[in-house]
Amino acid sequence: MLNLFAGRFDLPLSRDPSTKLLPWIVGLMVYLATLALAGALSLSGLLADWNQGLSSKITVQVMPLGDETGEETQARVTTAIRTLLITPGIAEAKSIPIAEIAAMLEPWLGTAAHVMELPLPRLIDVTLEEDRSPDIEELSKRLAEKVPGATLDDHQFWRSQLFKLVRSLEVLAALVVGLVALAAIAVVVFATRGGLAVHREIIEVLHLIGAHDEYVADQFQRHVWRNCLRGGGVAGALGVTTLVGLRQLAEQLDPALLPTIEVDPWQWGTLILIPIIASLIAMWTAKRTVMRALARMV
Amino acid sequence: MPVKQQTKQNAADGVVRFENVGMRYGTGPEVLRDLSFSLGPASFHFLTGPSGAGKSSLLKLLYLARLPSRGLITLFGRDVATIPRRDMPELRREVGVVFQDFRLLNHLSVFDNVALPLRITGLREGTIRKHVIELLTWVGLADNLDARPTTLSGGQQQRVAIARAVISRPRLLLADEPTGNVDDAIAMRLLYLFEELNRLGTTVVIATHNDALVSRFGRPRMELEAGSLKFHGVTAAASSTADSDGSKAEAQSKWPLTLPKLADNLSS
Repeated sequence: MLNLFAGRFDLPLSRDPSTKLLPWIVGLMVYLATLALAGALSLSGLLADWNQGLSSKITVQVMPLGDETGEETQARVTTAIRTLLITPGIAEAKSIPIAEIAAMLEPWLGTAAHVMELPLPRLIDVTLEEDRSPDIEELSKRLAEKVPGATLDDHQFWRSQLFKLVRSLEVLAALVVGLVALAAIAVVVFATRGGLAVHREIIEVLHLIGAHDEYVADQFQRHVWRNCLRGGGVAGALGVTTLVGLRQLAEQLDPALLPTIEVDPWQWGTLILIPIIASLIAMWTAKRTVMRALARMV
Repeated sequence: MPVKQQTKQNAADGVVRFENVGMRYGTGPEVLRDLSFSLGPASFHFLTGPSGAGKSSLLKLLYLARLPSRGLITLFGRDVATIPRRDMPELRREVGVVFQDFRLLNHLSVFDNVALPLRITGLREGTIRKHVIELLTWVGLADNLDARPTTLSGGQQQRVAIARAVISRPRLLLADEPTGNVDDAIAMRLLYLFEELNRLGTTVVIATHNDALVSRFGRPRMELEAGSLKFHGVTAAASSTADSDGSKAEAQSKWPLTLPKLADNLSS
């Protein structure tokens, strides 16, 4: 049984220049992978939050027509609400008070009293039933017939664009993690091959006195495991520290400006596993490399 | 089972059997040609011949570092060409080799070098320690357990190499010019050590071009010349000369021969 944390080394691997760099390179890879994965994970969380917030809502906008008075517009809003409420799949429809709309526009229009007299568009906040959603297209048509100037926005465009963006970022992050893993594997293969070449004579002696290939491979495996865990562990800790720092920086900003980027406890767990997974992959790579090379020896 | 029958039948042929064996390196000329011989259990042979005659190549075939280009080699009754790679290590553990250049692992201590053949078998460290210290005491290196081989004299390194070759009590012991780097007195001592192991049942083959030594020891000789082998019986009196008697006495006083005890320990 392979003992990962103890055991003797018959090959002086720790003195090899080719394997000396291993902890540093693997550390760098682990750091990059940690950041990329953390980015992907928090983006997924963000997307899920937004999606949840938007998918159960639609907004109906009623534009004031020509010289219409406020009361006339309000009457059309009431018609629209009535139309909405008789539609199956709609749980709630309520007009957003004009004062609230004015407040929303305050940064652009100011606080003057006459803002209320401007022909402001009216908004109706519609909540859909959870398990049954209405035929949006049909509803949109019907609404436009009954209430000229009324438009319906189910945020579909916004949602699909957002979804595409976040998915692309996630794919990018996965790609980064994948490339980093490939690069790390290549580094381990080269370091192991270097070690095999440097210690060819010793390996031959080990063979001639009756050592199995596994015995030799075991030496490389344990060496690579330890070095990768050392470099990867430090880098993983640095990665997590970086993330915590970033979060604290983000918290100091106005929370209203930024959507909350949260990393769940289990996601933290995944991040902490990166160095261990990387070291296991490296160890397995070293074993395969050694076994393949030794199979070519007598 | 046909396999078992074959093994039994071959076992009668002795420890080593060569049949029309030829060997070449790559596409070069044959360095060994049509070798046919067998070595019985507990036999003792010198392998002589001029430099380049193929002594080292023949030894490489015997310690399974190379496979023959043609012909049949059986080792302990097994055809080496048909042994799966996985089973090679077990067979190699039955063969002890003292390499011409010792091939000690210079980054390991004397103790660890000698312990290596036992460690690869997964023996417990306590047992290993006991056997290694006993053997190193026996070859007079008890005070050098922690020394690196490079800090030792040629003769001492040779004794480490020999200890490593015999620690696992091989059935076949091969030595390539073991007397090459040492003066005659030490050479005689080493040969007495090999004789001692031979008396305990080990088949011994010693490659040398020290003809004086060969004739003084009076053991059968295999002579390689240009890739072919000739057998010679005992060419000189097997009994000791005054000279070798002296060396023998010295050897025994230096290395108390407790090897039978060691053998018992290892086999238990």
